[in-house]
Amino acid sequence: MRNNRPTGAGNTNTVTTPTAHPQNLAATLRRLLYFTLAAVTLVAVLASCDTPLTTFEPRSDATQRIHTIYIFVIVAASIVGFLVLAAMAYILWRYRERPGHTPQQIHGNTTLEITWTVIPILILIAIAIPTIVWIAGTTADPDEDALHIEAVGHQWWFEFRYPGLGPDGEDLVTANELRIPVGRQVAITLEAKDVIHSFWVPQLVGKTDMVPGRTNILEKFTPTEIGTFYGQCAEFCGSAHALMRFRVHVDSHADFDRWVENMNAAPVEPEAGSVEAAGARVFTNFCARCHTIEGVSTEEIGPNLTLFGDRATLGAGILDSTPENLKAWVSNIRDIKPVLETTNAMPTFYVGDPLIDQLTEAQVDQVVAYLKSLKLR
Amino acid sequence: MAANIGILRRPVSTEGVWGWITTVDHKRIGILYGVSAFIFFLIGGIEALLMRVQLAQPDGTFVEAGTFNALFTMHGTTMVFMVVMPAGAAFFNFLVPLMIGARDVAFPRLNALSYWLFIFGAILMNFSFFKAAFPDVGWFGYAPLTTSEYTLSSSTDYWVLGLQIMGIGTTAAGFNFVITILNMRAPGMTLMRMPLFPWMTLIVSFLIIFAFPPLTIALTLLLFDRFFGTNFFDTAGAGADPLLWQHLFWIFGHPEVYILILPAMGIVSDILPTFSRKPLFGYTTVVFAGAVIAFLGFGVWAHHMFTTGLGAWATAAFAGATMAIGVPTGVKIFNWLATLWGGSIQFKTPLLFALGFISMFMLGGLSGVMHAAVPVDTQQQDTYFIVAHFHYVLFGGSIFGITAGIYYWFPKMTGRMLSERIGKVHFWVMFIGFNMTFMPMHILGVLGMPRRVYTYSVDQNWAGLNLFVSIGAFIIALSILLLIINIVRSARKGEAAGMNPWAASTLEWAIPSPPPHYNFAVIPTVRSQHPLWDEEANAVEPPPLPAHGEPHMPDPSYWPIVIALGITMVAGGLLIWQANTWLGLLVIAVFGFVGIRGIYGWVFEPVAEESAERVHAHH
Repeated sequence: MRNNRPTGAGNTNTVTTPTAHPQNLAATLRRLLYFTLAAVTLVAVLASCDTPLTTFEPRSDATQRIHTIYIFVIVAASIVGFLVLAAMAYILWRYRERPGHTPQQIHGNTTLEITWTVIPILILIAIAIPTIVWIAGTTADPDEDALHIEAVGHQWWFEFRYPGLGPDGEDLVTANELRIPVGRQVAITLEAKDVIHSFWVPQLVGKTDMVPGRTNILEKFTPTEIGTFYGQCAEFCGSAHALMRFRVHVDSHADFDRWVENMNAAPVEPEAGSVEAAGARVFTNFCARCHTIEGVSTEEIGPNLTLFGDRATLGAGILDSTPENLKAWVSNIRDIKPVLETTNAMPTFYVGDPLIDQLTEAQVDQVVAYLKSLKLR
Repeated sequence: MAANIGILRRPVSTEGVWGWITTVDHKRIGILYGVSAFIFFLIGGIEALLMRVQLAQPDGTFVEAGTFNALFTMHGTTMVFMVVMPAGAAFFNFLVPLMIGARDVAFPRLNALSYWLFIFGAILMNFSFFKAAFPDVGWFGYAPLTTSEYTLSSSTDYWVLGLQIMGIGTTAAGFNFVITILNMRAPGMTLMRMPLFPWMTLIVSFLIIFAFPPLTIALTLLLFDRFFGTNFFDTAGAGADPLLWQHLFWIFGHPEVYILILPAMGIVSDILPTFSRKPLFGYTTVVFAGAVIAFLGFGVWAHHMFTTGLGAWATAAFAGATMAIGVPTGVKIFNWLATLWGGSIQFKTPLLFALGFISMFMLGGLSGVMHAAVPVDTQQQDTYFIVAHFHYVLFGGSIFGITAGIYYWFPKMTGRMLSERIGKVHFWVMFIGFNMTFMPMHILGVLGMPRRVYTYSVDQNWAGLNLFVSIGAFIIALSILLLIINIVRSARKGEAAGMNPWAASTLEWAIPSPPPHYNFAVIPTVRSQHPLWDEEANAVEPPPLPAHGEPHMPDPSYWPIVIALGITMVAGGLLIWQANTWLGLLVIAVFGFVGIRGIYGWVFEPVAEESAERVHAHH
C-alpha cells in the first residue's frame, strides 16, 4: 500500500504505466469540436427551413424582444462552453501521463478559486439584467386601443372570445383559428375549462399556461406581419395533447373588420332543395346539440362553427379543411383523434354499421357541403 | 432469554437466496440496489427506444397515443425513482461504510427495509401494466389531469401508491446515512478528512429528508382526492387549486435533481485525484459548493413554473435564485479541471467516464442558465430544448458519473477487473450515441417541437432530425450491451483486482476485494485526507484478524421484508378496494396486521441469535 503514494521525496515507486494514446485523444477532442461547429451550422440552416413553429423567426414586437435576449444567452453560453471545453482538452493533452513526471501535490489556491467564483457571478448578472427588465416590462397595462381576447383551453381545442365584438355587444366567439389585425396590440387572457393547457404561438408570443380556476394574462404583443402562424398547446393535457393545435391569422385591418361583421350575421339561407339545405337540416337536428353557428344555433359544448367554410383547418389545426377530411372527421373522429369517452366527446356518426350510425353517408355529405358553404360574403 | 419471538426460526445462515432476502449487510444490500437499478435501467431504456421508434418519422403509427403517453410517463418515473436514485443508493450502501472506516451502517435492518420498500413499490407500480395500463399522466402528474374526473383508469392509483411506498424507504435511508456518516466514522476521520463521495452522500441524505415530505404530502392529498372524493386538486369542485400540486411537486422535484446529480459529483471528485495522481484541488470549496447547491436547490422550484402565471415578483426572484445556483456548479467544474491541471493523467475507463461527466454536465448546466432567463424560457418551456437540457444533466451527468463509478469500484465490489479495452469502446460508443441523441434535441426545441407529443405532422419539418435522434438512441443501447458483455466477461475470466488496483488513496482500498463481511478486521485510525497516499501518516495496516477471531456482525433478519410486504399489500388492498370494497378491506386488515406484527418482531429481536455453539464460543 505504501507504494501507492504518487509523489514525494524518497519515493521512486510512482505509477508510470503508459496508457492510451493521448495524441488520439487530442485528435478526438478536435473532431468533437468540429462536430459541435457542424451542429451549430445545422441550427442556422434548419432555422431558415420552413418550420412553422420555429422560435427563431419573430413576427411580433414581443417575440423580437425575446429573440434578442435568446441570442445573447446562446452566445454567452457558447463562449463559456467553448472556452471550458478547450481548456479541458488542453489540460488533458498537456498533463497526460508521461514517464518521469511526478505531479506536484497541490491542494488548492484561494486567489484562483475566488476568481472563478466571481467570473460566473458577473456573467450571470449580465444575463439577469435583461431578464429582470423584461419581466418588469410584462407588467405594463395594455394600450388603450388594444384588442382584448379571452382564450379558453378545452380537451383538445381552443375557444377564442372577443368581448364586445359580438351581436348586441356580447362576445364574438370562434374556435381554433384566431384572427387578429396587424399592427394593433393584442391583450389575451387565458382560461381553461378542464385541465391545464398552454397557449403558444412561437412566432408571435411566448407561452403562458391556461389553468382551470384562474385567469392568466398572456404577454401583450403586436403582430408585425400579415400571415398565418402556427400555435400549439404546450402543456401535456391528456391523450390527444399532441393534436391540440391552432392557427393565428394576422389580417389587414380591413379584412379583420369584414370578418367581424360577417361573424355577426346569420348565414345566407341555402337554396331550397339544394344539398346545402339538406345539410342545414342535418346540422339543426344533430350538430346543433353541441355547436353554435351564429343565427342558427346556440350550444357551446363543442367549437363554434360560424364561418367554418373559411377555416383553413379542422380538428384543432390538425387537418386541412378539405371536403374529404371533413367527411372523415364528421363520420368518425375516433379514426383521427384519440378522444376519451367522456360526455363531451363528439359522437361517431357514420361507420357503415346501422347499429351505431346516427347518420347515413348521404347525410354526412350533406352536412359537409353545408359547413363548407359557410363563407365570408 | 426467549430468543425467538418470530413465527419462523431466525435465519442465521447467509447462504443462498434466503441469505439475500434476510441480509442486513450493507454490501449485499448495495448489490441488490445496483442489480435492481440496472434491470430497471434496461426497462426504462426499452421504453425510450419504443418512443424513439414512434417519433422516427412523422405521423408514426408504431404505438397509439395512450401507449406513448404511458411510455414517457414510465420512462421518466422509472429513470428517476427506479434507476438513478437506487443506483446512487447502491453506491451509498456499498461504499460509504468502507470509505469512512465503519463495519456497517447505523441501522442495518432499517437499511434492508429501505431496499424492500423500494423494490416492492417499484414492482407495484409496474404491476399496473398487467392490471390496467401503465400510468399515463406524466412523471410530474399535473393536477387536475390526475384527478378521477379526467383519469378514470386505476393506473394513476398505482402510480401514486408505488411512489408513496418507494418514498418511505428512501426517507428512511436518508436518516440512516446521515446518522451513519455523522456517528460511525473511523477514529481520526474528521468530516474535513472525509472523501468527497461520503460527503455528497451526507448532503444528498439531508436533501432526501427535507425534499421527500412535500412529495409525500402531495401524493397523500391526491390519493384522498382519488379515493375519498376530497377536493384539493379537483377543479370541478370549489376551492381547489391545481397549482398547489405544482408547488408541492417541484419543492420536492427540484431538490430531487440534486439528489440525482450530487452522488455523481461525489464519484467524479474521488475518481479525478486517483487518475491525476494528485489531490482534489480546493477540497473545502468542492465540499461547500455541494452544500450550497443543495441549500439553494430548495429555493428554485418555481423555475419549473415560469409559464404558470406566478406574477412578476415571484418570477424574477426565482430566476435570480436559479442563476445563483450556476455559481457553485461552475466552481465545482473549475476545481475539477484544476485537479487535472499539473497531474499525470492516466486515461483509464473510469476517468474517461468522469471526463464525459464533466463536459456533458457542463453543457447541461449552460442550457439550464438559458432557461433561467425567463423570456427565453417562454419559448423553451415544454419543448425538446428542455428534454435536451435535462438529459445532458441526468444522462450526461448522472449516468456518466454512475458508469464511472461502476468501472472504478467494480473491482472492489467483485474482486475482478473489467476489461479496459471493452470499457474504452463502451465509453466512446456511449459518448457518441449520447450526443447524437440529445444534441439535435436542442435544435428541435428551437424549431418548436413540443415535449410529450406522440406524433407530429410532415409540414412541421422535424422529420430528419428526429430520425437522426432515434438512430442515436439505438447507439446508446448498443453501448449498454457492451457494458453487459464486459461484466459477463469479467465474471468468467476477469483478472483478480487485488486490494488497490488503481493505487487510490481512500480507505475502501485498504481491505481485500471483495471486502469480508465485517469490512475492517481492525478499525483503522485516520490521520489525513489520503490515508493510503500519505506515507508518514499511513496507519492503515493490512488487516490481521484479532485474536478473538472475526468481528461479529448482526445476524440476518426477515422482519424488514415482512414489514415491507405488509406496507405494500395495504396499498394493494386500497387498490382492490376500488373494485371490491370488502375484499379490499380484508386485504388491508390482514396485511396491516402483518406489518404491525413485523414491527413487534423487529423491536424485540436481539442483535444476535444466542445459538448453542455461540454461547459456547463466548465462554
